[in-house]
Amino acid sequence: MAKITLNINKKDYQLEADPQMPLLWAIRDLAGLKGTKYGCGVAQCGACVVHLDGEAVRSCVTKVSRATGKKVVTIEGLSETNSHPVQKAWQEVDVPQCGYCHSGQIMSAAVLLREKPNPTDQDIDDAMAGNICRCGTYLRIREAIHKAAEMQKKAPVKG
Amino acid sequence: MNNDKNALDRRSFLKASLLSGGGLMLSVSWLSSFKSADKAEALNLPDQWSQLNGYIQITSDNKIRLICPNPEFGQNVMTSLPMIVAEELDADWKNVVVEMGPHDPVKLGAQFTGGSNSVRMYWKPLREAGAAARQMLREAAAQTWNVPVGEVTTKAGVLLHSSGKSAKYGEMASKAASVPVPKDLKLKSPKEFTVVRKSKKNVEVQKITSGKPLFGLDYSVDGMLIAMIQHPPAFGMKLKSFDAAETLKMSGIKEVFSLKLYEDGFEQGGFDTRSFNDLLVVVGSSTWHVMEARKKLVANWEPAGDQKDTMGGRNGKREVTVPGALESTLIQMQQMQEYAAKPSQQLRKDGDPENAFKNAAQVIERTYNGPFLAHNCMEPMNFFAHVTEEKALLAGPLQAPGWAEPTLAKLLNLPPERIEIQMTRMGGGFGRRAYAHYLSEAALISRKVKAPVKLMYTREDDMTYGIYRPMYTATYRAALDANKNLIAFHVKGGGIPEHPIHANRFPAGAVDNYLAEGWQIPSNITIGAFRAPRSNFNAAAEQSFLDEVAEAAGKDPIEFRLELLKRAKENPVGKNNEYEPDRYAGVLKLVRDKSNWGKPGNEKYHRGVAAYFCHNSYAAHVVDMVTRDGQPYVDRVYSAMDCGIVINPDAATNMVQGAVVDGIGNSFYGELTFKDGVPQKNNFSNYRMIRINEVPKSIEVHFVENDLDPTGLGEPPFPPVFGAVANAMYKLKGKRYYNQPFRDELEKTI
Amino acid sequence: MKQDLNKGPGYFLTRKAAMLLSLMIFIISVAASTFRKNPPTKEIRLNLAERDSIESVKAFETVYKTLMSPRCMNCHPAGDVPLQGDDSHLHAMGPKRGVDGKGVFAMKCANCHQDTNTPGLHTPPGNPEWHLPPAAMRMVFQGKSPHELARQLVDKKQNGNKDMKKLIEHADDGLVLAGWNPGEGRTLPPVSHAEFKKAWITWIQKVLMRRKNSFNLNLP
Repeated sequence: MAKITLNINKKDYQLEADPQMPLLWAIRDLAGLKGTKYGCGVAQCGACVVHLDGEAVRSCVTKVSRATGKKVVTIEGLSETNSHPVQKAWQEVDVPQCGYCHSGQIMSAAVLLREKPNPTDQDIDDAMAGNICRCGTYLRIREAIHKAAEMQKKAPVKG
Repeated sequence: MNNDKNALDRRSFLKASLLSGGGLMLSVSWLSSFKSADKAEALNLPDQWSQLNGYIQITSDNKIRLICPNPEFGQNVMTSLPMIVAEELDADWKNVVVEMGPHDPVKLGAQFTGGSNSVRMYWKPLREAGAAARQMLREAAAQTWNVPVGEVTTKAGVLLHSSGKSAKYGEMASKAASVPVPKDLKLKSPKEFTVVRKSKKNVEVQKITSGKPLFGLDYSVDGMLIAMIQHPPAFGMKLKSFDAAETLKMSGIKEVFSLKLYEDGFEQGGFDTRSFNDLLVVVGSSTWHVMEARKKLVANWEPAGDQKDTMGGRNGKREVTVPGALESTLIQMQQMQEYAAKPSQQLRKDGDPENAFKNAAQVIERTYNGPFLAHNCMEPMNFFAHVTEEKALLAGPLQAPGWAEPTLAKLLNLPPERIEIQMTRMGGGFGRRAYAHYLSEAALISRKVKAPVKLMYTREDDMTYGIYRPMYTATYRAALDANKNLIAFHVKGGGIPEHPIHANRFPAGAVDNYLAEGWQIPSNITIGAFRAPRSNFNAAAEQSFLDEVAEAAGKDPIEFRLELLKRAKENPVGKNNEYEPDRYAGVLKLVRDKSNWGKPGNEKYHRGVAAYFCHNSYAAHVVDMVTRDGQPYVDRVYSAMDCGIVINPDAATNMVQGAVVDGIGNSFYGELTFKDGVPQKNNFSNYRMIRINEVPKSIEVHFVENDLDPTGLGEPPFPPVFGAVANAMYKLKGKRYYNQPFRDELEKTI
Repeated sequence: MKQDLNKGPGYFLTRKAAMLLSLMIFIISVAASTFRKNPPTKEIRLNLAERDSIESVKAFETVYKTLMSPRCMNCHPAGDVPLQGDDSHLHAMGPKRGVDGKGVFAMKCANCHQDTNTPGLHTPPGNPEWHLPPAAMRMVFQGKSPHELARQLVDKKQNGNKDMKKLIEHADDGLVLAGWNPGEGRTLPPVSHAEFKKAWITWIQKVLMRRKNSFNLNLP
């Protein structure tokens, strides 16, 4: 166990954690942020995706030690008012069924849109194939990402 | 269309009362009008569940609160059920607040999410409740304004009178509570619908996109401990001994112990299935610590041998022997071949099939196989429990609280009224969460450690401790006469440990000589409902077989089916045919037209079609496949559904699209094999799941437009996808695919 | 229903036969080119070259079987998606190479592959530099015959402009070494790193020295 400071969603959390502990469990159990999900624990499903200095890392295999000194953003911190273009597009297209995988889907999609503001279907497949949706909402995920790209053009994401 | 023969005396299921704090509370009977046409899929409801059991509230501040009785697992009932009330109430949808009800068998009934029954079950009582409340509000307004009630109209939550008087519902709600419940209710005709049939957004979508703690794994209370169970590595094994010394040295670990889930002789209900009875439990302060500490356990397992289970139920106690063998897929396949050759149980017989086959000009015989499937809900099994001497609080993802509670009451020796079960949003269900062993396990662990506990399965636990889709096989035979007419049809199906046959489904009723038989092989591998149980195999096999028979008869596969359905309509064979031929034909015609079946312009696609009836709804798909990078892909799908009135069209479309994707994924990749009782896959790294790069570019969903009472949609679109994919694969590869998953067969050919 | 993922002994025999055939062709071609490029008057040198080529071919046999083992080949795929597992199937979820070889968008290698191996079966192996060859220098191993692979490895236009020194150093590259620390459940390359390195250096030196000599001889 060690004292670790994690910066999550612009807030510093002082945590007592084993440096080997996956970031996922530090976020969920220690920081108490439950939006980031456990799905497989082996980087296969993408339910646990968070942004680590802007990259869509899988927190279930990322040790908490890798995150110290870096900025962690979880679904709760993607926007202050649930208004990131990806979130808004998800709401408008009404993507989710059970909803469990969508924190991870949204966090992955946000990185895609930052790096490729006008993604093609191929770009979407390349970016999103790491996120499993057991309910099969993939077609709506594609649609929502295109919609988010449109929204982003009208109102670019700040910062 | 009202189903009057099911109507009960309305006074017995509507009751008004004043809401504390002001407003109207209307208690309703959710279940009073529910009867199933299909006995095989009907729920057995105790009489008391037909009493007053649910409620809507209209508060003075004009909010309409509706308790959603059924747990939500993505089928969107939390939105569609309130829409039904809002429709007849003429409420402003913006003011409707939906809350997930706790388990309350007195007030909320069975609360069973499954069998594609939610909307079908609640349609009538919810409409009548809404209509009654609206009428009482009009009466209250009429009294207040001193005008005839016939002159009071409503629009979007406002009461209106031609004099210019108006009032919001909330203003009249307290007064309405004293108005007698009306005896005669006039329900809207479908033409008057303003809420139903108009797409509404999922009421929880905002919470989902912002990561609110909606799910069982997110549920947390102060001082909550985390528990995990180490289960035997193989079906057929049990715990012999263990050494927890190293585990207990790990930080954060509180206790390690073993206990039995069911004591010997415990009378199990139908949903009390559990894979393993010995719980080797590690309890600690955080998920990660428990996961790590569990790895240090030294557990010794031994073959369990044949076990006796005691099954309870209406027909009294009976003992069932669970065989102790450590089973392997290859041996199971041999066993199935042996059983298929033996005489089996006759399930239905029309005409003289033996003779018809003997005298046929051509007989086609094909055998189809389907493996065990794991549900793989994205949220692994988990449950919160806080059990004390006096009471029990449980919270988590669960499809059937009504069946979990009696079991729990027996296990904890607590009366049901001291047990509170809260249902969280489920991260998928697909039938898996109808089996609440994990809830019972959590409860026993909490009682043992005297603390609130969250029991959590890892993905590996979840996949290797399954209540799987059974392993199935079926041999189909068709007899054609010299004019290529189908004169006899025979299906003999079997499975481990149950057969897949629905004997009274199409093409039963459409063929003069018909025989359906079933057999089963007992097993210790636990099985249960998996999205459209049995149908999900039948539709693959039968619809693939019919495609082949149509080809042999020289007929277009859709026309071939339509001819049979015409026969079933005009001159049906037998009496117990479950489907309505017109509606079955309706989805085939719709999908034919929408997909331009048989018309030019689709040459680049390899097309397959299939249709199926189950859970009271009808589905047909045309699947268009292409080869990309040398691999077969489904590029485009057309779906036609008949589920009566579609409550929430966009959500219904989402559901069908999801079922199509699920069907493609499972037909291509879904499979769990066993070796010496050990499941050969344990995570998504070896259990392949369909991903976004493998799904169609478009899935066009069409609904047959009619005014029939709505039926379910969670299951019906799923089964025929397998058949349509198999038939399209034939067009693409020039060979038939008889064994699921198709990917394996495919890989042997490339 | 699935019988077995293994493709059976026939498959391996065929592969081995193909490899031997390739090696034979390689020997003949190296020998032939040596013969062509060396004037017949220098008989002693020719014999030396032959002896060198045989040593070199032997060394390359070791190099080839190592590089074509899943631990090396999986990150040198024919397409833009890496391979996975001892059966070298396409990497689940189809991550793409990207320009720098480090993945694209939400699917960058380091999103899953950490600095070190993640404990457990079926978990991502790790290395601080985890990547595929970049798009400009794809260095495909998959599907290459010994001859094709050999030519590619020493061709500066294809190997990232590596000369002999750099090629030799590459044997100790961190990511190359990671092949011998593959994480739980993965087979090791067929020879130890030391054996591989010895063979690699032997082959590189022989083949490049010979090329150098040949080159000099061909000077006007």
